Amino acid sequence: MKIIIVGDGKVGFTLAEHLSREEHDVTVIDTNDDALRRASESLDVLCVKGNGASIMALRESGVDTADIIIAATSLDEVNMVCCLTAKRLGAKYTIARVRNVEYAVELSVLKKELGIDMVINPENATAVEISRLLRFPSAANIETFYRGRVELIGFRVQEDDFICGHSLAELNHRVKELPILFCAAERGDEVIIPDGRYAPQAGDKLYLIGQPIGMSQFFKLLGRYTPKVKDVFIVGGGRIAHYLTAILEGMNMHVKLVERNMDRCRHISEVLPRTMVICGDGTDQELLESESVSASDAFIALTDRDEDNLIISLYAMQMGIGKVIAKSNRQNYAGIARAVGLDSVISPKLITANQILQVVRGMENSKGSVMTALYKIASGNAEAMEFVVNQTTRHLGQPLKDLKLKKGILIAVIIHHNRIVIPEGSSSMSQGDTVIIVSRDQGILDVNDIFDESALDLSSAMGGIG
Amino acid sequence: MNFRLVFKVTGKTLLVEAFCLLLPLAVTLFYGEDPTPFLYTIAAIFVVGGALSFLPASDHFFAREGFFSVGLIWVLVSAFGALPFFFSGYFPSYVDCFFEAASGFTTTGASILPAVEGLPMGVLFWRSFTHWLGGMGVLILTIALLPSLGSRTLHLMKAESPGPVVSKLVPKTSQSSKILYGIYCALTLIQIICLKLTGMPWFDSVVNSFATAGTGGFSVKNASIGAYGSPAAEIIITIFMLLFSVNFALYFLLLCGKVRQVFQSDEFRFFLFIVAGSILLITLNLWLTGGYYATLGETVRHASFQVGTIISTTGFASTNFDLWPEFSRILLVLLMFVGACAGSTGGALKCSRVLVLLKCVRREVRQVVHPRSVNVVKLDGKVVPEETLRSILLFFFAYMFITAASTLVVALDNFSFGTTLTAVVACIGNIGPGLELVGPMGNYAGFSCLSKIVLSMCMIVGRLELLPILVLFSRNAWKRS
Repeated sequence: MKIIIVGDGKVGFTLAEHLSREEHDVTVIDTNDDALRRASESLDVLCVKGNGASIMALRESGVDTADIIIAATSLDEVNMVCCLTAKRLGAKYTIARVRNVEYAVELSVLKKELGIDMVINPENATAVEISRLLRFPSAANIETFYRGRVELIGFRVQEDDFICGHSLAELNHRVKELPILFCAAERGDEVIIPDGRYAPQAGDKLYLIGQPIGMSQFFKLLGRYTPKVKDVFIVGGGRIAHYLTAILEGMNMHVKLVERNMDRCRHISEVLPRTMVICGDGTDQELLESESVSASDAFIALTDRDEDNLIISLYAMQMGIGKVIAKSNRQNYAGIARAVGLDSVISPKLITANQILQVVRGMENSKGSVMTALYKIASGNAEAMEFVVNQTTRHLGQPLKDLKLKKGILIAVIIHHNRIVIPEGSSSMSQGDTVIIVSRDQGILDVNDIFDESALDLSSAMGGIG
Repeated sequence: MNFRLVFKVTGKTLLVEAFCLLLPLAVTLFYGEDPTPFLYTIAAIFVVGGALSFLPASDHFFAREGFFSVGLIWVLVSAFGALPFFFSGYFPSYVDCFFEAASGFTTTGASILPAVEGLPMGVLFWRSFTHWLGGMGVLILTIALLPSLGSRTLHLMKAESPGPVVSKLVPKTSQSSKILYGIYCALTLIQIICLKLTGMPWFDSVVNSFATAGTGGFSVKNASIGAYGSPAAEIIITIFMLLFSVNFALYFLLLCGKVRQVFQSDEFRFFLFIVAGSILLITLNLWLTGGYYATLGETVRHASFQVGTIISTTGFASTNFDLWPEFSRILLVLLMFVGACAGSTGGALKCSRVLVLLKCVRREVRQVVHPRSVNVVKLDGKVVPEETLRSILLFFFAYMFITAASTLVVALDNFSFGTTLTAVVACIGNIGPGLELVGPMGNYAGFSCLSKIVLSMCMIVGRLELLPILVLFSRNAWKRS
């Protein structure tokens, strides 16, 4: 597909990187020479210098034949004008990044009047993601499928968990009743798609998929069912904190927010009166102690410096806070953080890129089965995808045990007539079903891509318990 | 430096060269000649290239790997491309073969052979075919054929393509190189047919078209194009030499229907201006001096052929321009420095660089008159970044410096000033013939081994626009870290 990305910043670059790797024709527009040079040197994309909202720059990048235009500059207004212009010039689908809180409430009108097909708000998306983690503090990360009715949860196995050291086949009887499935495991740098022989070890990161009810039952069984989060401590009062606080207030949590800038503090306390806003340096240990940070159930570091976020999160972990979440846009920092036990590191950049990638992939596949969701799990080494099966899919109605799947692929969930099924050997896919597939390799773009037409048996691919 | 990856890319390119050698092999078999020189070469390349291309390597590919591998590849491709000449036994020594192969791949067209008419058809074909391969670039061909080289191939393309800045035509590098080769092939094919229509034999039309397309200049006749005595062929070749020295991106714009943009290109207009001006001046000079050609038409024809052949850096000859009056000879030598447009198959400094240099001079003068004025250099209505200006100025100095240094070494052979200087200028600019001993009717056989090696390196340095070869000889590049 022909995709134009306007704005070569953090999100623009990440998108260009992923999309060009997926064999799309990507053109990047930016006014900054340095940003363009970086893109042209490390990515296989075409770079155009210019203002993305100007007709000349858009024409030069071939907007009339573009399938998608993504406006991701730092200015909301430019993004909106860009989409408006591009749509008039013939672009088929427009995506704009709009993050101003004031515009956020007027989105539906904006979309209709300006011809924007999709609006992305990275800060809001990040806030939603964080609030989901707070709802389920045992998990390091949570992704949802099928309108939230299926959850994919990652958690770290600990020394004293009963599953530790037992193979899944042995564990089968204890968790059989629960509607969940072990769909992936991360051990060191390696990703395992588990079968009956896989035995969890302390330190592994396990990914569970299933209905939310099954999840809570499993964590109860594991003895890790932590009580609900009531007090949240947030450092940094940017846009994410703003959206997040609003959500958390709606969930009846008590929020204490530390922000350095006085004006910003005033503004937040004006809009969100139930929140305790403290003006001060959130990286100052004395301040944190005097505000009794150790008494809170969750600690969230949202300052604009990745390094500060990670360091104060480590400090909060040391203080014994049950749930610590840090924002870090740099992926390599997340890896280091994970090594010292900080599992919940979220990146607004990746969340935004993932959201847009989902749309692009969904459009691309409109000929075959439609991909409705895609998440990168296990540090990006595996993917979980949701597809809607249609008549183009092969092997419909055949029991799964007779199908030959490629290595490292698991059919995790089949949703048949609104009923969520953890598949067994005798289950089958039929038209209109939603299936969730976990894959170790990238590049599965269609349900048909999972079938191994050459050989290999299914038993190695069908794994897990449940 | 990721040496394994450099070797892997080198291996893959060598395999492409082996694949290209199948064509001259077919020609050899068609004319019933001895195929062993080609068979040996293909076997040798296959063994070396195959071994290298199976090296396991991580794909950490950055600018330095790009420049380094392009430099290495061109030296190796020339070294292996020399083998068919060597095995054929018609060449005095391997150094001569290397000179001939480097001259072929870099599209110089300088030969050490006094007479070419007795050579086997297969060898003649390979000589001209190297022009065609080298013209657009061996690596660009590799990128087009093997997209598996990954997303960072722009570094390779950048190092191999002539001109101060590389612009991709479409987002994908491999797609861009396919389009370039498509335009290249189509133009070559049209020329072959046009030449055939003038009554030239098939074989000659094909090899002369290859030599024109790559702006090379190897001919299969001792007297070059003049030997055919056909004004029609000369006119066709003049036109195509000029066509191949225009930036290929302009053809892409033409195909997209953006005709106005083509004629708004500053470099293209500058190129047309130089060509038209030089033809006019030389015609006047020849006609007013008198005694050269019988009619004005013939004078114009020869003047335009020679201007075309020098500015496109091809190096054919329809007449012995070494006998022309001094003004015309010096003008032709100056054109050797200017060269073709960026993004074409031609060599030398390139019109866009000369144009930018002239604009820099104008800016400097303005700056002296109005010291506080702020001036930018513009090309095609866009500001040229200061960094590009700096690299163009440096390029100009390095080009002149290497020319001077090589002239000094070649001077050891004790030939006249004209011969020594024009030999180096013609080699580094990828033109071929110079003046006096190395003139259109002369050759490079008289030089010593040392001079031949220096001149061969000059050709590769000129074709790759200095940097890749300088990187290859830089001690920093050879360090692992």
